[in-house]
Order: sequence, then structure tokens, then C-alpha cells
Amino acid sequence: MNMRKGVVPWLLAAMVVLMGSNGVAVAEGEVQPANQPAAAAVTAPTIVIDKTELNNGGTIKVSGRVPAGKPVYLEVWAAEHSVRANRFDSELDKETNKRPYIFYISEEMPAYYKIFAPKEMQAKIDAAKKEGRKWSYSALLKDMGAEAAFNIPAKMKIEHYQSTLMASIVGSRGDLLPTMDEKENRKRAMQLTKARFRSPDKVFAADVDIKPDGTYTAEIKIREGLSPGKYKIVAVVDKKTKSEPATFENKIAFPLVYLDNAGTSLNIFYPFVLSLCVAIFGVLMGAGGGFIMNPLLLALFPALPHTIVAGTVTPTVLFSQGSGIYNYSKIKFINWKLGCGIGVAMLLGGFIGPKLTEMITLDQFKFAFGWILLVLAVLMFWQTTPGYLSRNKKEQAILKEFKKRAEEAAKGGK
Amino acid sequence: MKIEFWGQEFKVNMVIGCIGGFLIAIMSSMFGFGGGPFMVPLMTVALRLPMYLVVGSSLLAIFFNTSISTMRHYQFGNFDLYFFLAMFPAAILGGYIAPQIAKRVSPLVVKRVACMGLVVLALNLLGVY
Repeated sequence: MNMRKGVVPWLLAAMVVLMGSNGVAVAEGEVQPANQPAAAAVTAPTIVIDKTELNNGGTIKVSGRVPAGKPVYLEVWAAEHSVRANRFDSELDKETNKRPYIFYISEEMPAYYKIFAPKEMQAKIDAAKKEGRKWSYSALLKDMGAEAAFNIPAKMKIEHYQSTLMASIVGSRGDLLPTMDEKENRKRAMQLTKARFRSPDKVFAADVDIKPDGTYTAEIKIREGLSPGKYKIVAVVDKKTKSEPATFENKIAFPLVYLDNAGTSLNIFYPFVLSLCVAIFGVLMGAGGGFIMNPLLLALFPALPHTIVAGTVTPTVLFSQGSGIYNYSKIKFINWKLGCGIGVAMLLGGFIGPKLTEMITLDQFKFAFGWILLVLAVLMFWQTTPGYLSRNKKEQAILKEFKKRAEEAAKGGK
Repeated sequence: MKIEFWGQEFKVNMVIGCIGGFLIAIMSSMFGFGGGPFMVPLMTVALRLPMYLVVGSSLLAIFFNTSISTMRHYQFGNFDLYFFLAMFPAAILGGYIAPQIAKRVSPLVVKRVACMGLVVLALNLLGVY
């Protein structure tokens, strides 16, 4: 029974770990502004913005002048906050007929990244949207002629790992592969951009209106709930013809809080209320609320990455479990041998699981979770059928009886 | 394996228990929930253990899983402090409020509502609507 004493320090240790410096996990990397090649003075595009400050999103009017008859693209990105983007490449390589199983990850993806193209390109974006999940970032970029505008993510540092089955089992990312060359980095950066922002209209918009004489105007809409801080805009005509970056700032105020790892701003009261309701419901049902909280968060806040949702809900249920164990152990209602025996097996599983979360895409996550929930619903329905209930009634009576005895024994012991 | 609990002896098939626990742990840590709703049926139905033995011991087993997966999620940078701080106090508060309501509602009704809620959420995740 000496393990009982171990529970409280454990809890404390877990709390310390959780509360500990968040700075470790937060990517410090600030996106470097593109090094502007000194464009030829005559043809250098100009860029003017009508305001330098936004309050949780809004519209900015951009205007300027480029050499007549050329299309212009506006590359807009959040310069102060970056997020993580990752992708697990397990698609069949057509040339070698093998699956590469390479895991790409970068911490330097801007929290906001979008290319605004001339208005005529709308049809191309719509076509990409029709392709559903299969749309290709690089193909759309090429199709729109916007390749020259893809600069910021192309320069970010991407690490890639050769993943193996063994590495997955021990829960590592695999072997770190040597740094990619510029061209390869650019190609992978496009895939990561898609992996992070997912849908075509998050990363492309057709908003720039160009007059025959080369003047252009655009209304750039910045959504609500984006990262705060400085944003930069560069007008790009081709590889060598770019404007100086224009800067504006997006401000957010309490109760809106920027979630650094998630890369979005959120009214902090929403998750609070949601969590409260789910916790009450969970206790009434006699189960933790985690399996309701997760899908609810995914459904209500599509901007949150599934890894963050899973990784943040898990510690929330830790405390209620800990206090539950403490209460049961007080009346000696836990069999330590059984609990720890199965617990060790679960320890191994819990070690592997979080890595798999990172490996799969949101769609795979939703698909698998959807089926799990259906199974769970069936399981729960079975628990409300008459046959189960009559059997359960006896069990519950015995449970109560034993609990009463245990409580009395615990009191008597003192 | 034989275990003793309140003067009674039970035989437990630890092979089934451990394999089941392992699989449930992978699944629940991957999707970020506790695993209780799967663990209790595993232990009562597959291991044929009585309910009064399962309630506490399954919680202990799950606690192992949740603590290690919390550490791993943290290690991979899947943890967001502000988000956690918004949900954590609410979860504790809920734990205090719930027992007050519990006397007034039937667990059967709660379970049926939960059932429907789960189906709705599942269909949402599967993209049916």
C-alpha cells in the first residue's frame, strides 16, 4: 500500500511540468523579411497601404504602381508569430514505386500566410477548391503564375526525418536527414503550407485590380482570430521585381487571447464555458469528458490544429483522475496490483499514441475519431438496455455495499 | 494472475488485460481522451471482473496512460498554455458542481443523451453533414 503515498507527489510533479516554462515549446523563430534585391529603379513596384493598424482583423486598401501590362501578386504574412507545420509523406512515389515515409517539420511557418492574385484568377482558385482535399499547392501556384511571390515559406528551415516502423514503436521521429537544398526546400515548403492552412482560400485570394497603365488596387481582408503583431506585404511582379515591404499591425485585446502553439486567437471564455459544461456532463455520466470535449472543440473551432486539441485536453482530465484515485485510495478501494499491471501496458501505449497524432492529417484524425465515437455510442447504448441494467443493478448494489463497508473501515482505522 | 480484493480472490487474465490496455492507451492518447469508457467494459466483460473492483483500478490504470501521454504531447509541442488555463479551472469547477446536480437526474437519461450527442459528433467528424 505504500504506492498510495506516491500519488500526491506525482500530481504535484505533473503540475510543475505543466506550469513550467512554456518557452521551451514556443518557437522563437521570427520570420525574416525577404531580402530585397535592389530592383532596377525604373521598374520597381510601389506599394501604399491606407492604414497601419487593425483591430482583430479588418480590411486594408493597398494601392501602388507596377510596370504596365504585368500582373502583380501581393505576398502577405505575419512577421511576428510563426507556427509549426508538419507533414508525413507516405504517398507512393511513382518513379521508384516505394513509399518514402519521410516526416517533414518546420517551426517557422508564418502564423498567417496568403498570396493575393489578380482578380481574373478567381476561377482557378475555385477549380482547386472543387478538387477537395487533393488540391496541390504547387500546381495552383504555377497555374496562377504566382511562383515568384512564394518567398517567405520557401526560406524557412525544414527538418526531415526518415521514419521507420521501429522508430514509430519506440516513439521517435526517426533519423534526421541532411538539410535539403534550396530547390527541394522550396518544394517541401509548398506542401507544408498546404498541410498547415489546408484549404485554397486560406492561402490564395483573387483581389488585385490592375489598370492597363500599371496602377493597381486591392482590398485585403484579414479575418478575425488571427495572430497579433506586425504583418508585412510585398508586391511581386516577377523574381526580380518586388516592392519594399509595407507593414501593418493587427491588434487583439482581452478576452481575445493569442494561442501561441495553435497560431490563432480565441475568445478565452468560449473554451472555459465549454469545458465547464462538458465536465459537469462527464461526471454525471460517470466518465471523463475528454472524448466529448475533443470532437466538440474540433467542430466548433476549425482553426485549432488537432494536435493542440488532443495535447491540451489530455492534461485537463489528469487532475480529475488524480483526485478520483486519491478518493478511492482513501477508502482502500483500489487494487494496486491490477491497476499497475494494466497501467504498465497503458504506459507503453500512451508513449506511442501522441506521436501518431502528429503523423496523421486532420482528415484522418476526424475519420478515425468519428468511428471511435460511433463505437462508443453503441457501447453506451448497450449500457442502457434492459438486460444490462438488471445485471448492473445487482452489481451496483454490491458496489454500494462494499463501498459502505470500505468507508466504515477507513473511518474506524483512524 | 491472482489478485485479492476485500477478502475475495479473483483470477485475472493479464495477457488479455495488457493487450487490451495497450491498444486502448494508443487510441486514447492519440485522440486525447482518458479511455475510461473503453477500459471499464474491457475489465468487466473481457476480464469478467465485478464492477466494484473495476471502478477504482481502471482509474489507476488510465492515470498511467494520461500522465505519460501528457508528457509526450508536451514534448512534441502539442500543448498550449493559455488554452489549458482556460479549460482547466472550468474542469475542476465542473467537478464540484456536478455532484449537486447528480441527485436530481437519472444516469440513464444522461447516458441516452450522451449517446445521441456522440452519434451527432461522430457524424460531424465523418463529414456526413
